[in-house]
Amino acid sequence: MRTGQPRLGSQNRIAAYFAAVVSDESVRECFAGPAAFPILPNKRVYFARNRGDGEDKEEVEAKVQALGVTATSKYMGEQWLVHVPGTHTRSATHHPQKNCVSNFVTFTTRHQATTTFIMVGPTASLAPLYRADGSSSYTCPATGYELLGAVNAPVELPARRDALKPEEATVEVFVKPGTTTAGVGERYVEGILRSVLATVILGREKGLPRRGVVITLAIVGGEDVERGDSYLTLLPALLHTSLLALLSATVPLSMTFSATLLGVTKSGIIIPDPSAADAKAMASLHALAFSSKGHLLLNESQGRFEFDTWEAVRQKALAICQNTAVSADGDVSMAEGAEGAPLHDFVRETVEDQVHRDYPWKIDAV
Amino acid sequence: MASATGAASHPVPPSLSLPPSQFARLQPHAYLLAHLSPPAASNQPSIRANGRASSQFRVTSANAGSLTHTNGSAVVRMGDTTSVCGVRAEILRTEDIASWSVSRTSNEASNKRRRLAELNEKPNEEDEDTAADDEEDRAHIEDLNLLVPNLSLSTGCAPGFTPGAPPSALAQSLSHQLLSLLHSTRLVRADDLRIWYQPPSLGPEELERHNDDEQMDVDPNPSGGVEDHKNREIKGFWVLYIDVMIISLAGNPFDAAWASVLAALRDTKLPRSWWDVDSEMILCSDNVSEASKLSLRGLPVASSFCVFEADAAAGWRAVVIPDAEEQKARSQKKGSQQRWILADPDGYEENLGQERICLVVDKEKGGKGKTVVLKMEKHGGWTVDTDDLRQLVDISARRWDEMKRILDQC
Amino acid sequence: MSILNVFNSPTTFALATCVMADRRRINGPPGGTRPAIYATSLPSIKDADRARRQRQPSELRKIFLKTGLIPSASGSSYLEFEPSASLAAARANPKSLIPPSSALKLACTVHGPKPLPRSVAFSPNIVLTTHVKYAPFAARKRKGHIRDASERDLGVHLETALRGAIIAERWPKSGLDITITIIEAEDDRWWGDAPDSHDASWGMMNVLAGCINAASAAIADAHIDCLDLVSGGVAALVTDNDGGAPQLMLDTDPAEHRSIVSACVVGYMPARDEITALWLKGGTSKAALDEQDGRSGHEALVDGAVDAARGAHMVLGEAVKESMERALGQTT
Repeated sequence: MRTGQPRLGSQNRIAAYFAAVVSDESVRECFAGPAAFPILPNKRVYFARNRGDGEDKEEVEAKVQALGVTATSKYMGEQWLVHVPGTHTRSATHHPQKNCVSNFVTFTTRHQATTTFIMVGPTASLAPLYRADGSSSYTCPATGYELLGAVNAPVELPARRDALKPEEATVEVFVKPGTTTAGVGERYVEGILRSVLATVILGREKGLPRRGVVITLAIVGGEDVERGDSYLTLLPALLHTSLLALLSATVPLSMTFSATLLGVTKSGIIIPDPSAADAKAMASLHALAFSSKGHLLLNESQGRFEFDTWEAVRQKALAICQNTAVSADGDVSMAEGAEGAPLHDFVRETVEDQVHRDYPWKIDAV
Repeated sequence: MASATGAASHPVPPSLSLPPSQFARLQPHAYLLAHLSPPAASNQPSIRANGRASSQFRVTSANAGSLTHTNGSAVVRMGDTTSVCGVRAEILRTEDIASWSVSRTSNEASNKRRRLAELNEKPNEEDEDTAADDEEDRAHIEDLNLLVPNLSLSTGCAPGFTPGAPPSALAQSLSHQLLSLLHSTRLVRADDLRIWYQPPSLGPEELERHNDDEQMDVDPNPSGGVEDHKNREIKGFWVLYIDVMIISLAGNPFDAAWASVLAALRDTKLPRSWWDVDSEMILCSDNVSEASKLSLRGLPVASSFCVFEADAAAGWRAVVIPDAEEQKARSQKKGSQQRWILADPDGYEENLGQERICLVVDKEKGGKGKTVVLKMEKHGGWTVDTDDLRQLVDISARRWDEMKRILDQC
Repeated sequence: MSILNVFNSPTTFALATCVMADRRRINGPPGGTRPAIYATSLPSIKDADRARRQRQPSELRKIFLKTGLIPSASGSSYLEFEPSASLAAARANPKSLIPPSSALKLACTVHGPKPLPRSVAFSPNIVLTTHVKYAPFAARKRKGHIRDASERDLGVHLETALRGAIIAERWPKSGLDITITIIEAEDDRWWGDAPDSHDASWGMMNVLAGCINAASAAIADAHIDCLDLVSGGVAALVTDNDGGAPQLMLDTDPAEHRSIVSACVVGYMPARDEITALWLKGGTSKAALDEQDGRSGHEALVDGAVDAARGAHMVLGEAVKESMERALGQTT
């Protein structure tokens, strides 16, 4: 997404947020040209801008307000992160050497002095496939993965007659990597996904026992998972895709969930959503999933860490997923994840968008 | 017997009296529950059907070095689960690495840096590995596939695994977990696996010595200074084929497999090897005294747990699943225990619980330092959270002491 | 200039690693790897270092046989041969990384009788499936993960040996799976000898005898009705000194002999004096035995193998008795 035109599909489908580190001109551009950046009312919009000489908080905010947006801003590292209230925020990691914010996608402006960044949050759409009972597509720009999920349920599984359980549905998960055939790593991640999904699928509901819920997840874009790699970077995306596909197939679920990936650097800083390349440099990596009711559904941690570190990671992950954590101290980096709309709402909004599109007649009638 | 009273506590028709073993098969859930929550009146302790306390591991024994054709081997028995691991080392020549010449220059630069650093401080302290070392280890071990663990379940270890069939999903995912853990713990040092060549500096004496004693001319430990390392180049790598055969499977294969891999790697000896200029290949010495053991980083020990819930179908029947906080409060109020976390589950218990926890811990400074977690995995349920996990880390730390004793003895 | 003796000739290296990447296993480096090549100057592999047989010609190696070690199987057994004198010496006082010989170790499980899968046609008898697999680290050369011809061959031989002994019509529509994992195999020759043209896989015969014994014990442990315990035994005609007459030896370890002329393995039921399987290899016709011995070469071989099998049968009897005692202890 190096162009100024993110692939976002129709506006209704967008459940995304942008962040841009922009000079005044490019902010104007950004707003001025809906073709370039379709910024929607009530969608999540973020800006960050490079720190100018002697600029202070008020000055930055004033400049942004001059563009017609009310916003609050925060100084972080070398940049100002400008936050438009009511929109989703993500923490941005700043690398002084690269002069970029790792979560943010770059595009160029005519102002060489300031590099401009755009961030696109997870994008998802429901039911992109017509033949499957339910499907979803999911893009996570932070890690670069693009996934396509399909759910068929309930289906008869005559070949697995011996393995079928008499009282509940059998959940089958298949993960297909983009460029190669599935290997041992996929078997492993399928096992994890199956055990997580089996806990939220109400497999004893009418019509489901002795039948199968078949979930197929194709990794369409993003880096290939290397031999022996832990799959942690991919887990949240896989979980979100399968959840949305299950919702799209109207498989009864006891609750929904959201998942996130956090990395802890060698100096002990917790970084949300590290990219696959960044993840390698982390001292430890943690993928966590929380149910909509706050249960810890999944934890996959690897690397070298102490239990107290994990507790901090869990707090932060819960904040990102659910927005329940209280950040009483005005710590900027901590407040980052907690401030915006939680990931959980992302799932909700994606579904709401779909409902609004599919049932306008019904909603209008009400 | 505990089971008899346990059976009585449940509504079993009086006309039908079953021996405990039959009851265990017909009503496995009720059977285990009766053991874990005996009626208050009976004054019996809560104990698992296999006679263990909930945080008790099975009796473990390990035996290393008994297989002839391996560089290192170990047999680990955890109760009725038996795992045999054999490590075979083979040589990967740099000529056979497609990308070698490309990546070589950068590698050599960093090698030189590292070598220099090595002269100043011994790299034996496990926590003092430099970042460069870390990167290099990863580059060599992970990118060149120097560790090749494979686990086989088609040994007739349990019914349901067809011998001769391709590895089952379980075997594949266990193999992957072993590899992933070997990589993430950085257990094996890339330095142990490198085969170096030091071209002789062509002084007249050197040449003479060269003729006198062919084998000694490329002694891997030249006593010279930094200069000697200048022209060193990597000629090959040892590749460790780590094959695990689960001979008997009665639950918890991962802990047993990992323990056997760890014990086998601790036992592994690599022969002294050098590049022979005349024959242009890597040769090894069969002399035992010249062979060297691997120097592993730490001693990661795996402990697995399984959650047994009193009412397994609670999640299905409840119209509304309580919030996490609410649930915690409720379980405290109720008094009677609703779930048990069983350490080292056997095959019977594994079938009764979906929620699994796997912890890999190590202790710094050979057991005297603090406990570090190397892997924490939890999935399949929603009952275990921070407090439980904290306790499990403590249990795993105790298990670490026990396993260290066992592995040191073998 | 020292002479290098290269035992693993570079042309025959690691075929197994060159096969196409297996997606269901973890693969090694794509370029393939080679086994270590030991360079030893010639004088040190003199004949003095050869592994030599310390036993009498009719003396068998001790067998360790235990049943019931794998509780999830209906029947199981573990078999181990006593290490030869040279191996025991090398273990006690290790000098070289090259083991002089190896001792058979294998585990056997029996699953069944169990209902046949739906896809299988009706059978009035029990359907016996045997499966023999070497562990990758079992032999001097790394074995592949997929069964090769010799392993399938062993499976067929084993099935032949056992089929006659099991009373098959007692379990119609049922299957019986016998799986053997060989953890350590026997060598085909002494490691220092170059592969010979008339060399055969002599070690496989010992492995087969071990498989028969272990499988019999496991079948008895699974309480499958049999006519008798089939036991396996090996005998061979060997020439240890050049030009000497071949000698009949029981339970030969190929690593301990300079040259094996012919060898024979039998599956034998002592109670009925019946041979269920016979596998004889090598030229026996020109083998001259003692003058007073009127037998032909192969008669002597078969007799020898039967004698070895009788010896093994005693161990088998003990193991089965132990298994029964355990079973009785469980039910009462």
